[in-house]
Amino acid sequence: MFYSVVLLSIFGILNLFLGFLKSRAWLLPVTLLFLATALVVTLTDWNKSLFFWNYMMSTDNVSVAFATIIIVSAMLILPLSRFYFPNAAAPVPEYYAILLFSVVGAILMVTYENIIMLFLGLETLSIAMYILAGSDKRNPRSHEAALKYFLMGAFATGILLFGVAMLYGATGTFNLSGLAQYVRTTLVNGASPMLYLGLTLVLIGILFKLSVAPFHFWTPDVYDGTPTLFTAFMATVVKTAGFAALYKILSVSFTGIYSVWWITLAATSVLTLLIGNITAVYQQSFKRMLAYSSISHAGYLLIAVTAMGQTSQSSILFYSLAYTLATITSFAVLILVNENRAGESFSAFNGLARHNPFLAFALTVAMCSLAGIPLTGGFFGKFYIFINALEKGLLFLLVVAVLMSAVGIYYYFRVVIAMYMRGSDDNAVADRIIVPKSYAAVLAITTFLTILLGVAPDLLVRYF
Amino acid sequence: MVDLSQYTLTCALIPFIPLIGFLINGIGFRHIPKGLVGLTGSAASILSFGLSLYLFNAFLAGGNQSFTVYLFDWITVGDLRISFSFLIDQLSLLMLLIITGVGSLIHIYSIGYMKHDAGYGKFFAFLNLFLFSMLLLVMGSNYPIMFIGWEGVGLCSYLLIGFWNKNTNYNNAARKAFIMNRIGDLGFLLGIFLIFYTLGSVEFTEVMPKAATVFGVDDGTVIAITLLLFVGAMGKSAQIPLYTWLPDAMAGPTPVSALIHAATMVTAGIYMVIRSNVLYTLAPTTLGVVAVIGLATALLAATIGIFQNDIKKVLAYSTVSQLGYMFLGLGVAAYSSAMFHVITHAFFKALLFLGAGSVIHAMSDEQDIRRMGGLRRHLPVTFATFLVATIAIAGIPPFSGFFSKDEILMHVYEHSPVMWVLAVIGSMMTSFYMFRLLFLTFAGTFRGTHEQEHHLHESPASMTIPLLVLAILSAAGGVLGLPEVLGGGNWLAKFMSPLFDLSRQVRPESFTQTHLSHSQEYILMGVSVAAALLALGAAAVLYVSRKAVPAPEGTRLPALQNLIYNKYYVDEFYNNIIVKPLLALGDFLYGVFEFLVIDLIVNGVGKATNGLSGVFRRFQTGNIGFYIISMVVGIIVILLINLRGFIL
Repeated sequence: MFYSVVLLSIFGILNLFLGFLKSRAWLLPVTLLFLATALVVTLTDWNKSLFFWNYMMSTDNVSVAFATIIIVSAMLILPLSRFYFPNAAAPVPEYYAILLFSVVGAILMVTYENIIMLFLGLETLSIAMYILAGSDKRNPRSHEAALKYFLMGAFATGILLFGVAMLYGATGTFNLSGLAQYVRTTLVNGASPMLYLGLTLVLIGILFKLSVAPFHFWTPDVYDGTPTLFTAFMATVVKTAGFAALYKILSVSFTGIYSVWWITLAATSVLTLLIGNITAVYQQSFKRMLAYSSISHAGYLLIAVTAMGQTSQSSILFYSLAYTLATITSFAVLILVNENRAGESFSAFNGLARHNPFLAFALTVAMCSLAGIPLTGGFFGKFYIFINALEKGLLFLLVVAVLMSAVGIYYYFRVVIAMYMRGSDDNAVADRIIVPKSYAAVLAITTFLTILLGVAPDLLVRYF
Repeated sequence: MVDLSQYTLTCALIPFIPLIGFLINGIGFRHIPKGLVGLTGSAASILSFGLSLYLFNAFLAGGNQSFTVYLFDWITVGDLRISFSFLIDQLSLLMLLIITGVGSLIHIYSIGYMKHDAGYGKFFAFLNLFLFSMLLLVMGSNYPIMFIGWEGVGLCSYLLIGFWNKNTNYNNAARKAFIMNRIGDLGFLLGIFLIFYTLGSVEFTEVMPKAATVFGVDDGTVIAITLLLFVGAMGKSAQIPLYTWLPDAMAGPTPVSALIHAATMVTAGIYMVIRSNVLYTLAPTTLGVVAVIGLATALLAATIGIFQNDIKKVLAYSTVSQLGYMFLGLGVAAYSSAMFHVITHAFFKALLFLGAGSVIHAMSDEQDIRRMGGLRRHLPVTFATFLVATIAIAGIPPFSGFFSKDEILMHVYEHSPVMWVLAVIGSMMTSFYMFRLLFLTFAGTFRGTHEQEHHLHESPASMTIPLLVLAILSAAGGVLGLPEVLGGGNWLAKFMSPLFDLSRQVRPESFTQTHLSHSQEYILMGVSVAAALLALGAAAVLYVSRKAVPAPEGTRLPALQNLIYNKYYVDEFYNNIIVKPLLALGDFLYGVFEFLVIDLIVNGVGKATNGLSGVFRRFQTGNIGFYIISMVVGIIVILLINLRGFIL
């Protein structure tokens, strides 16, 4: 993991130099190659328990798995950029470099051992995202998104840092194992308000990045304004890394004071599920609906963290993967539809099935997976999380989650209905979308994996 | 001891070859040329038959040791462990040979019979799927696997009865068969649940010994289990009161009638009872019920058969009636005799149906025997084979039906002479309506249109060869169980004997050796043969000498005849007592309950969600100040909750 962080940082800088080349044809393959290299290097850490940089980072199988999901989602999103920048002057190499740096940040977030590294990773990832959110320079909505994201992100970062300081003040250490040690031994005799305050603030800082209610307000506006390619990145990589970080800090250091933090997570999870799912019902724009859907999925994932059982980590992993695959599919189809049919609303998808059966099928599978319909990965993702909740006795959470997944079916299937049952009235819309090969490849992979996870979940689960 | 491992693949292949055949024809039937479709379908069946023969030989060579072939764990939930495995013993092997053997002949026959049908590929795909299900049913080593096959068979019969799905009547017949079977399936399923609940296992090899120790004779639970299982058998094997689907099932193509509704599927119920013989032996009460229902079915169906004018309907009722005899045999604990009748019946009934198919083929799809007659000259092969089958089913020696039916009758006589008398009357009726059918169809002069007469022809070789093979089997099948009194060794009964070891232990008295003297046996045989010959004579006088032809549709019949001709109005009875009230209830629920209650609730929830969504949406103002204030409020609330211990 150490090497993949170093390598990706160097690759990012190399990418900037590649920008001097006249031909851009090599840019994408080379960047993919960089990521593939990092992936291979990451996988060599499988079945090893290692510490790096004087206990700054630690790896185990779970962090390797999360890092793999992150790198793979980056590799699946990158090919979508192939025709995304029609403007020849667009600084594509810079974008790629920033994406690579953000992957570095995300990997730090899943492998940190020292909370400082968590902060570092979170900021590396966030700052990269601020820039990418505003990358569509001619579009005021993109500016708005970047500014909003930055302002609120800065606020959340402040709170996170404040919490870190409190934790240090209470325990005298930044290390997860040191914190765990403190919780296990010193705390036995009495409660420490400073520790609780610090923990709560750190949690809030992370929950903000995960767009958990009531810290979710930035999400719809920012997702909406950000260029879709980078929205896909935000919705997948940032979320996966954030949940890995949240799970790691709580499971390693704070299981001893479960009673202190579980209420926070349970309450925010209920709120997130309600707000995410119910507000999504009203949306007319597919992209905005996906923003709310990303909020609601944070709610489901939070249930697994709240349950903090034997199998929580495997369900978080499984769910993240299923969610990531389906989300990438959705955004990929959205990009194509938006560019060819000029619209992000549900009606832009009308009659898509007739002209592009493959796109319609892929999107249907993705929607089924997000809604949790069997034979897709999303079903087992929800299934495992619900089992966690049941084992922990979180019945109230379970009831809300089940009800809200029923609401989810309504808005996810609106697009399916539009594609299969509505005719396209506009002639211009009726034209068949020509699907570039890179998109077709990505969609084929994500759709195949989504179904594979839904048919044989054991392929993944047995490792954890 | 047999080395089991070497047969795993063989056993797995026997059912899975037809499944592969189904996949090939089912997926590719639009693209595969016609010739290849029939070839694939038949080859799958024949290969399966070859493997079954091989397995049978190996079994005999290995000293008749039954064994279980374990493939994989299928379901593991708590205490319940269901493996996907096959039980190979005398019973499953006999069933395998019948299913694949008769099945192969019917596949070959279908190549010719279905030649001009548009759904040729579909037809063979379904036939193969049927074989697969039936093989699972008889090979499964536990009740759930048997149930998969059981359901699969039901599904295939639905698909095949409604094969010509453009005809609404045929679709209704298919639905009727399916629903009737489902009623039976419910009983079967409940029986399985009860077995698991009381014995903690569903594996045959575990259930039976456990049952023998846990249950006493005529224990209430074991009676409940066996009755429930018998309800399943009623559905599948067309016994009173669930028999009405079988005659309607004749809507399917004739090879289907032969395969499903005569030779294999309907024997599933009998197979299941024999497989569970320990349970049934433990419940003499149930056996009594089985015997009575079997006998009643045999008689009822036989009377209806006398007045039917559709060639396939007559055969259908004769099937119901013969199944009644088999259950009668089971009811008097003559398990191997019932199995003997299953085997011979498979031969001659398949032959009768295929012969009827050949007639229908020649008559340009005419099925009414009132318009036939004199076909002997035009269809010599069909006539000869049909004659053999008729003699066999009528129970006239030396053809196979005589021996199997006689064995059952003998056991019935030991059990109760009254039942024996009734059964002999039934077999007299069998002989009468079968010869009536034969004479009306093949003797006398042709009564159809000129066009039909012009068209009359013997069927192609692919159809007549299976007929000939089946005719030989029908004639000689009796050798399998030649009784001692006639100088045979009753090989079948000896072969199957180990299956009933446990039953013999739990209730030895039901298996006591025959106490009839040889002269008594001769007399009983003589009486039943005389009865059959008498009926033959009556039919000959009536339909050959006097050339009587049943009255055409619409003539007024005497009251009793009218009652029987209309099948005792059982269909109408079911329709009025069960179907109509259900429909009325459905109408009520749809018209009132759904409209007033369900719709209101469902739409209400939808509207409420939408409204709430509209409210929530307003919080998304786009104003950063508001966002940050909400965040701060949120943080404060969370801190208050978490730190309440320190603040208060």
